[in-house]
Amino acid sequence: MTRYFAMAGRGKLIAVIGDEDTCTGFLLGGIGELNKNRKPNFLVVEKDTSITEIEETFKSFLARNDIGIILINQFIAEMIRHAIDGHMQSIPAVLEIPSKEHPYDASKDSILRRAKGMFCAEDFR
Amino acid sequence: MDFAIHNSQSRTIVYAKMPPPLFTTRESEGSSTLLDEKLLRFMEQLELLEEKRASLNSLIEQGWFSMSKARYSMGNKHVSPLQYASEMEPLVLVHAKTLDSGELDFSTERFEQKCCKEVGADNRSIEEIGPQEKGVRRRIKPKEDITKKAVNEETSSENAPEVTPVTKSDQNLQQDPLKWFGILVPQSLKHAQLSFKQVLELSAEIATLQTAVLSTRQELKHSKKHKHEEASATQLDSVAD
Repeated sequence: MTRYFAMAGRGKLIAVIGDEDTCTGFLLGGIGELNKNRKPNFLVVEKDTSITEIEETFKSFLARNDIGIILINQFIAEMIRHAIDGHMQSIPAVLEIPSKEHPYDASKDSILRRAKGMFCAEDFR
Repeated sequence: MDFAIHNSQSRTIVYAKMPPPLFTTRESEGSSTLLDEKLLRFMEQLELLEEKRASLNSLIEQGWFSMSKARYSMGNKHVSPLQYASEMEPLVLVHAKTLDSGELDFSTERFEQKCCKEVGADNRSIEEIGPQEKGVRRRIKPKEDITKKAVNEETSSENAPEVTPVTKSDQNLQQDPLKWFGILVPQSLKHAQLSFKQVLELSAEIATLQTAVLSTRQELKHSKKHKHEEASATQLDSVAD
């Protein structure tokens, strides 16, 4: 029933790209979708996960029309910063979240950099 | 400044022609006020975003802390991706609505775990232990025959019993993820789940704010460009005169 709603456009999935603890936590929260017909909406990033795989997964999430929000650990976002900066659409929204070993740094957040950047003295005349 | 001298009967009147203003005062005030309003709105949104971010980060950390406590009591490998179900259905979805103002609004919708009777389209073989009847108890009755029935027979019962019968069809996908980790899980794991559920709701609010901040930023940029264009156009006109 939930799958029908997601596919019919009445509700979108929340995807997560994170380390083990992040994914376990969010899957506990109930966002996980995993079945043989569709690709999973989460990626557990381990030490041996390649940047290519992370980038491909992120781009595949962007290409899907049934994902509304992508949650990604900020240290993983740093690895594929160019791909995240290149994403200009409003949906899916990309949220950078901290990880256990890397606290959240607002100066690295793509959205905040885009919002705060380009301000200069000229702008306030 | 231009001067004109008019000599009339015993009076000399000097007219001084003032140059026209760079742009009309009213127009400049209007566009500046609009810019100020947009800038204030932008700053307020940024402030709210940072507040919600701080709450989100602390809730996530709380969730991890509870998970670590659960891991300590259950064992390291008992709270890990090894416990993930082989098939899962999401229990929470996000809706993205476009408001009248053109801004996007994200909101979450959570589905309560349904009992197995809801799986109407499921054609997997279902093995039931005990007959299906109204008021059937959760307890398995070993003396009863084990029969195989189609799921449609389950869904045909309009007045479902309050207690879910223990059958293999309980492996329906809309299962509480807490059950992946065992039947009796420590309270800390439940706290972790609660924290992450709150995080998901807050994530939708943050997503809304993020899109609002970016769209306000764009509006500011366009308004400033428009104001500069107006000012330079009026300047050119006055120089031409």
